[in-house]
Amino acid sequence: MVSLARTIRSIRRVGLKEWWHQMQYIGDAKSGNLMGKDQFGNRYFENLNAEEEVPGRHRWVDFAQHDFNATQVPAEWHSWLSHIRKDPPPEDRVMQNLSPPWKAPWIENLTGTRGVYRAFNTTKPKIEAWQPKVIPRGQ
Amino acid sequence: MSFLRALVSAGPSARLATHVVPPRASLLLANRLLSTTARRLHADPLPGAPHTPDHLHDVVAPRSPGTKPATFTAADEPGKDFDPYKDGPGAVDKAVHLFFFTEILRGMWIVLEQFFRPPYTIMYPFEKGPLSPRFRGEHALRRYPSGEERCIACKLCEAICPAQAITIESEARMDGSRRTTRYDIDMTKCIYCGFCQEACPVDAIVETQNQEFSTETREELLYNKEKLLANGDRAEAEIAANLHADHVYR
Repeated sequence: MVSLARTIRSIRRVGLKEWWHQMQYIGDAKSGNLMGKDQFGNRYFENLNAEEEVPGRHRWVDFAQHDFNATQVPAEWHSWLSHIRKDPPPEDRVMQNLSPPWKAPWIENLTGTRGVYRAFNTTKPKIEAWQPKVIPRGQ
Repeated sequence: MSFLRALVSAGPSARLATHVVPPRASLLLANRLLSTTARRLHADPLPGAPHTPDHLHDVVAPRSPGTKPATFTAADEPGKDFDPYKDGPGAVDKAVHLFFFTEILRGMWIVLEQFFRPPYTIMYPFEKGPLSPRFRGEHALRRYPSGEERCIACKLCEAICPAQAITIESEARMDGSRRTTRYDIDMTKCIYCGFCQEACPVDAIVETQNQEFSTETREELLYNKEKLLANGDRAEAEIAANLHADHVYR
């Protein structure tokens, strides 16, 4: 990982500013092809040269947010990043053909925030409290 | 009586080995009473007949010491004729490796080689290890391409769930089709065995490849139908692509 020749090569490719950005987040100087951006602005890279990147580290994401989170990767890019699909989603015909029109927008894991999921009952309650109907007197 | 004791202690293998019994032992057997001896012990081949090997002749001798009328010694143990050290290193070679710590030095050399190699650390949120399209993660309820929900409330997943994590209640809808009114999965009970998605006749309940659904409180893991449908709605492209990639093996 931390070989001097590899670091200098990556800096020469991506530039000093990008290298500084990488060191703040992924903590390693990497260089590769930009495979695409998702709707949140996360950038996805790939470098298939086994001499430059250890196989298994050849796909990576650069998060758009400073407070990054693994669930900020949408499902299509998640399956590319986890090496489930070979092609990135913009080039994956199967993934594009199987995307339904009613697909919901991706939401990251909101635990610990105000948008957290709270379980609720989806059925009518089985037991209803007795509601007394009092007939007024004298009628 | 010592012979009888040896016969009893040898057990059933002695009866199997009657055709290798030496003739002296068979003479001893012949002197015994018929009523106290098993009949098959007398059924040895004729003493004067020549031994003709047929095509069913077993090459492997029975690994049994036979019925010798004495206590067995260590030389009678089967398999003693095999020398496991015949082709191995000599005693001097082994002593050299032992006293000069060559195994330890060779092991430390491998450690030194690994020290100068690039590490294989995957920087997790940015890079991820490979997953299978059959990976079983967070659950989701799917819909048909028309948008109609798939689940028909057959409750097969509820029946097969070994952790009994699924709770289903159903009612007939206004158009007469039966749908679930409650589809709850207790994700703290779930053992992620994948039986529910195998039992499902309409591919409604699936386990997606999402494994990053950790929560801060336990209540967030009690999923209801709305949460499961939302999981399916936002990950439908990935689920369908995985099923498409795997359909030839199902």
